[in-house]
Amino acid sequence: MRDVLYLAWRYLVYHRLKTVILVTSITLIVYLPVGLNVVVEQSGEHLTARAEATPLLVGAKGSPLELALNSLYFSPDYPELIDYSEATAVIDSGLATAIPLYVRFRSRSQPIVGTSLDYFEFHELAFASGRPMAVLGECVVGAAVAEALGVEVGDAVTSSPETVFDLAGVYPLRMRIAGVLEKAFTPDDDAIFVDVKTAWIIQGLGHGHQDLARPEAAASVLDRSEDNIVANAALLQYNEITADNADSFHFHGDLAGYPLTAVIAVPNDEKSGVILRGRYTHDETMSQIVRPVTVIDELLDTILTIQQFIVAAVVIVGLATIATAALVFMLSLRLRRREIDTMLKIGGSRPRVASILVAEIAIVIILSCVLATLITLLTWRFGPGVIESVVLS
Amino acid sequence: MIDIQGLQFSYGEGDFSLQVPELAVANGETVAIVGPSGSGKTTLLNLIAGNAVPRSGLVRTHGEDVSGMHDAARRDFRIANIGLVFQEFELLEYLNVLDNILLPYRINRTLALDADVRRRAAEIAQQVGIGDKLPRYANHLSQGEKQRVAVVRALVVEPPLLLADEPTGNLDPVNRERVLDILFEYVENNAATLITVTHDHDILQRFQRVIDFKQFYA
Repeated sequence: MRDVLYLAWRYLVYHRLKTVILVTSITLIVYLPVGLNVVVEQSGEHLTARAEATPLLVGAKGSPLELALNSLYFSPDYPELIDYSEATAVIDSGLATAIPLYVRFRSRSQPIVGTSLDYFEFHELAFASGRPMAVLGECVVGAAVAEALGVEVGDAVTSSPETVFDLAGVYPLRMRIAGVLEKAFTPDDDAIFVDVKTAWIIQGLGHGHQDLARPEAAASVLDRSEDNIVANAALLQYNEITADNADSFHFHGDLAGYPLTAVIAVPNDEKSGVILRGRYTHDETMSQIVRPVTVIDELLDTILTIQQFIVAAVVIVGLATIATAALVFMLSLRLRRREIDTMLKIGGSRPRVASILVAEIAIVIILSCVLATLITLLTWRFGPGVIESVVLS
Repeated sequence: MIDIQGLQFSYGEGDFSLQVPELAVANGETVAIVGPSGSGKTTLLNLIAGNAVPRSGLVRTHGEDVSGMHDAARRDFRIANIGLVFQEFELLEYLNVLDNILLPYRINRTLALDADVRRRAAEIAQQVGIGDKLPRYANHLSQGEKQRVAVVRALVVEPPLLLADEPTGNLDPVNRERVLDILFEYVENNAATLITVTHDHDILQRFQRVIDFKQFYA
């Protein structure tokens, strides 16, 4: 048997290009349906687990999928905004706890999640070091963020401007890290959490600047009336909230009208959840309430349908590939007629010669299966992350 | 001793027919078979080697009725007793020289490939001047080198009978003499029998007997 395998191996090594093409083709044919299944199944489990952990989401009317993806997985496309009053309305209903979410800004590629301290308790997020944010300008970073940026408690991260061309737009805010979360193996690992008010400051809705009553700011004052002072652009605005300037930060207008991307509603019980959902069924309501698990299930149904189409296509291509490989093998047998005759003449039996040819095929198939298994394992390990980043980007 | 009596052979289709009423070759004899193309010289070698089966008659090699054996026995007999040298060398391109030489051992279970065989293969290769070519692939060799590899492959099993089908047909005069020297030296040292089919009349004087095959061609 060893000699049979040796001769088969020598043939495959000598014709390495042909072997590589065959192995690659069979590997892909074996891997594609299996790998695809692994990816879809694992991604489905990941997505569903997160969705199941979030009972209800309140957001602006529009795409439920966009609302769910932004609120659960912090996708960059954020939904239409709602007022902060939606959160207080949920609380005032007495039916559920409300956790505000404002997921709009980023620090480089990491999402900045404006929320409340309830978020950590709701998702059972533990601290690896430090504590939750306590004052404006502080943040808590997920484990993956800390690892990727090499930051720890006491360091700082800076929000990214939405556009560098809009001078009146969002200015970067430097935020001190108050805590680092333990790894949760959820999108929370990749997020930076701030109080929702800090998120509003990032947007410029709240700000801190030089005291206009002080003499050194006098040159910046354009107009002064009893209840309003107008300053020019030379007025120094703070891009970091420190103990010295914290008092100067303030918000204009009614906070109830400030924006959120969503509100996580955690009903007191099932009945409360049903009642709460009923309140958003009126046509005149500008908001919607969605069950994330329903939205994600619909998304997965779509993905499964696409998967079935892809698998069907792969099976057809696979059959064509196998037929082609069989044809190539049969043609190569004709080309190898003399070689086979030589082996028979110098003492090889037909079964022995046939076993060499079978061994060649077996080695190719085994190599392909091993490769396909390795790639499937890699897919199992890294695939869902890649797919989620593709789906959510 | 090879003894052929009343041999008749024909292929399934076509009008080719070979008839050898009587032919004997003694042990240690060197015989050249000449004759026109298509007269059945190669067929006779195949019949002696057991690669073809006669329609009737007897082919006895070293006292064994080769034509009466079943396939497996004939194969085992051939591998143990007969070394074959082909005009076109018939080396496997995907094997190096050493593996080509050892091929009979790899494709037949009755032969054991051990260290002694490997050493013998290397020694014979060294003797015929291809000792440094053992790791090379066959298609990187010259024609003369290829034929020497084919000869070593036939000799490595130390057969008492060598059947060579135009072993010098593709060689220049220098390599032709070299290959013949190897064959004759082996025959002399091992008291082996050599039957060679050839068109090359320049080499006939080296053989003890020359058989003109025209007489058997029907």
